[in-house]
Amino acid sequence: MHKDLTRKFYGWFTFLGLLVGTLIVLGYCKDEYREWKDYQHKYIQEEIKRAATPELKAVAERIPVEIRQIILPDLNRVDRCTSCHLAVEDPSYGGYPQPLAYHPHHAQHPFERFGCTVCHRGQGRATTQADAHGHVEHWDEPMLPLKYIQASCGKCHDNENNPGAPDLARGQQVFETAGCRGCHKLSGIGGVVGPELDKVGARRSPEWLKKHFLSPASVSPGSGMPPQKFGEQDLDAIILFMLSQTGETAPGYYASMKVIPSASLGKGLFQQKGCIGCHSVGGKGGVVGPALDDVGLRRTPEWIIKHFRDPQSVTPGSVMPRFGFSESEARALTEFLLHLREQKVELILPTLMSPIERGHEVFRKYGCAGCHGQDAKGGVPNPNAKTAQLVPDLIHVADGYTKAELKSRIQKGQREINSLDPKLPAPPLYMPAWGGTISDAEIDSLVEYLFSLKPKGEDVGF
Amino acid sequence: MNHFLPKKILKWAMQTRIGRSIFRVGLPESNLERSQAMVSSFLLHVQPAKVNRHSLKASYTLGLGLISLYLLLILVGTGTLLMFYYVPSTDRAYNVMKDLQFVISAGLVLRNMHRWAAHLMVLFVMLHMCRVFYTGAYKSPREFNWVIGVMLFLVTLGLSFTGYLLPWDQLAFWAITVGANIAAYAPIIGPKLQFLLLGGHTVGQEALTRFYALHVIVLPAVAFLGVSIHLFRVRKDGGLSRPEEVRSSVDRIALNELPTNKSYGLMELARGTTPQVGKNPDDEVFSWPHLIFREIILFLLVAVVLLFLSIFWNAPLEEFANAIHPPNPAKAPWYFLGLQELVSYSAFWGGVVVPGLLVGLLMLLPYIDRNRHGIGRWFARERIVANTLFTFCLIVAIVLTIIGSLFRGPNWSWQNPWKQQAVQTESH
Repeated sequence: MHKDLTRKFYGWFTFLGLLVGTLIVLGYCKDEYREWKDYQHKYIQEEIKRAATPELKAVAERIPVEIRQIILPDLNRVDRCTSCHLAVEDPSYGGYPQPLAYHPHHAQHPFERFGCTVCHRGQGRATTQADAHGHVEHWDEPMLPLKYIQASCGKCHDNENNPGAPDLARGQQVFETAGCRGCHKLSGIGGVVGPELDKVGARRSPEWLKKHFLSPASVSPGSGMPPQKFGEQDLDAIILFMLSQTGETAPGYYASMKVIPSASLGKGLFQQKGCIGCHSVGGKGGVVGPALDDVGLRRTPEWIIKHFRDPQSVTPGSVMPRFGFSESEARALTEFLLHLREQKVELILPTLMSPIERGHEVFRKYGCAGCHGQDAKGGVPNPNAKTAQLVPDLIHVADGYTKAELKSRIQKGQREINSLDPKLPAPPLYMPAWGGTISDAEIDSLVEYLFSLKPKGEDVGF
Repeated sequence: MNHFLPKKILKWAMQTRIGRSIFRVGLPESNLERSQAMVSSFLLHVQPAKVNRHSLKASYTLGLGLISLYLLLILVGTGTLLMFYYVPSTDRAYNVMKDLQFVISAGLVLRNMHRWAAHLMVLFVMLHMCRVFYTGAYKSPREFNWVIGVMLFLVTLGLSFTGYLLPWDQLAFWAITVGANIAAYAPIIGPKLQFLLLGGHTVGQEALTRFYALHVIVLPAVAFLGVSIHLFRVRKDGGLSRPEEVRSSVDRIALNELPTNKSYGLMELARGTTPQVGKNPDDEVFSWPHLIFREIILFLLVAVVLLFLSIFWNAPLEEFANAIHPPNPAKAPWYFLGLQELVSYSAFWGGVVVPGLLVGLLMLLPYIDRNRHGIGRWFARERIVANTLFTFCLIVAIVLTIIGSLFRGPNWSWQNPWKQQAVQTESH
């Protein structure tokens, strides 16, 4: 063998061997260095600084540097947020700068049961700030801005009667009154002109939604949706409500609190279940049982709830039957009665609605206002429509249709809307066929309502 | 060069009692020991004790076959480690990818190595095939080894394609959906083939289970067998291909001209297609160290490149697979993009006839091309027709692949890759 050749071989072995070695060391270091370790060291330093006695200091020094995670198989989540946010459960860290701040108000939602991302969103499995907070490519669920955090309450709880989520309830109310359902389907109810909204909250960011409401075509080219004129608060509320529509539902344990037993829910139940047949509140109701205005002063909450479960157990010989209330119903009714000690409550006794009132409800329920305007007064733009580029108002339908004609018009709809200028794109808004969606009886009421809109004293034209 | 420290250590280690029991020969010093080192070692005996000088030329082989083999070995290694974590379930596979990235020690670099090695292997197997073509190395007696090689190329594509689905992200889901749809264009058997591959009509849990089984058991076993035969045939067909001049140097020596004062003689000459054909002892050098050392250096080079790529570039991972939201455009893995581009013109011609014809032609190539000249030299003048035809096909394939990967935007419409694309939103 040539000496030169061997020398060359050994030279290459040395060079490449060292290079491979360097790369392996580099790879190891890159793998060993993790952002969360820095935060954990900071936390340990803080704990050592706070230790009052040598024993406590020794305890603080022994805090391990390791991944912390909350494993939530039912929610299909592993939340590693507490690897950096180490003091979420320690009130003495209240007001600390992140990531070491304390998380207030978590008594109802203990971390070991709920984790973090079920409310805050973001990427629970991630262990770097950028990835975990989720503002990275290829992650659809970035953290919700705190302003919109109530959007997550709807995963487990009903939107209404949730004392913790007033903004969500407001958002739903805006959604129902602005007539969104006229074009959009949500939970199976609504029109077919625009896309379904069942999972819109999982796909869209608050910024996108805001732009979309103010100027739909700016983010969805070709969209025929009219720009919406919401006030600042209503706009935030409807964005929040849209964000809550993720299509995600919580399983088992998490859904057990779907209905929060609040006083307002209790009030509804009290009216529905016919309690006033025997009891009175504010002077209204029967006299078979005692008046309930001050029952919260006379009885303890425990007594009241036991009474709802089984009246005989606390009042032997009571004639009140066992109604078989569910646990949350019993709790809601109890909340309501307790609420009565502080506040006078006006009960709305069920009355029969007139067909016109029912029709107005139908008009509201199916979002007719979205296109035909509040109270059918019109004013919603429909570019290039022959009818002055507007969706027609419905104030005068009684002049042009018989009731039967109007009914069939609503059932069949009108897919093609006449264009003002045939060269321009067809008008985006059209009348869907509502026949399969709105029941016959409902359409009858709706027709009654629409016929009632004609201003009084105004006769048939001419 | 007895001052090289690792060599000193090795030498010492091999002389200990335990070392001797394992290595037997020790670090060879004489030519006899060099032969013995090769023959007595299980790992080394696959290779000959002596090797032709021509086969050692980097400018001839470019090391492409060996690089492909190294990548395969690295893939088996990293793949086995990944199997310790991976769960072939549509619910859990994606989470494993995230855990590899965020909490498993060296998990990310391991996945990167596996991914980049897989892409590189497809590339290097293709390049190796081009080398063999341009040097005319598929000609007699190596015709069948070429056929084995083409099969190994298809197995490589299959391994890469089946592995593509396993992360269960959007990229995986839609690339496999597109790929499986291409398979469905085949006449008569197409839809059945797609059903067989996916275990259903769409990509789902059944497809993932099948792809996993194919990826970790079936195809690696086939590849292992194929590579074994491929290497076995290289030796049985007389080593790597060489130019005719070298081969014929034996024939030119008349028997009576053989020197009598040499220790070799008739016993080293043979006719036919045995391993000894065309071997001129003067052209040969000992495999240890000439071949083995070069192989080690090449392995280190591959390791350097792969580690470098894997430390600094992460393997792609998109959103969790979503059957309702296809990306626009949905693209197959890069090596099938030329095919997808062809399919966009005509599903039948582009998806079935052209690729079927090409694979068939490749398989039959050594039996169609009867030209006996131009073996063992790059771009031999005698092979100008074959080389031109092959180059033409190659360029068309490359151009189609580049168009498919860079120039195709939403709805497979033409796009300018240098212009910033507007963000895609679903229109209402």
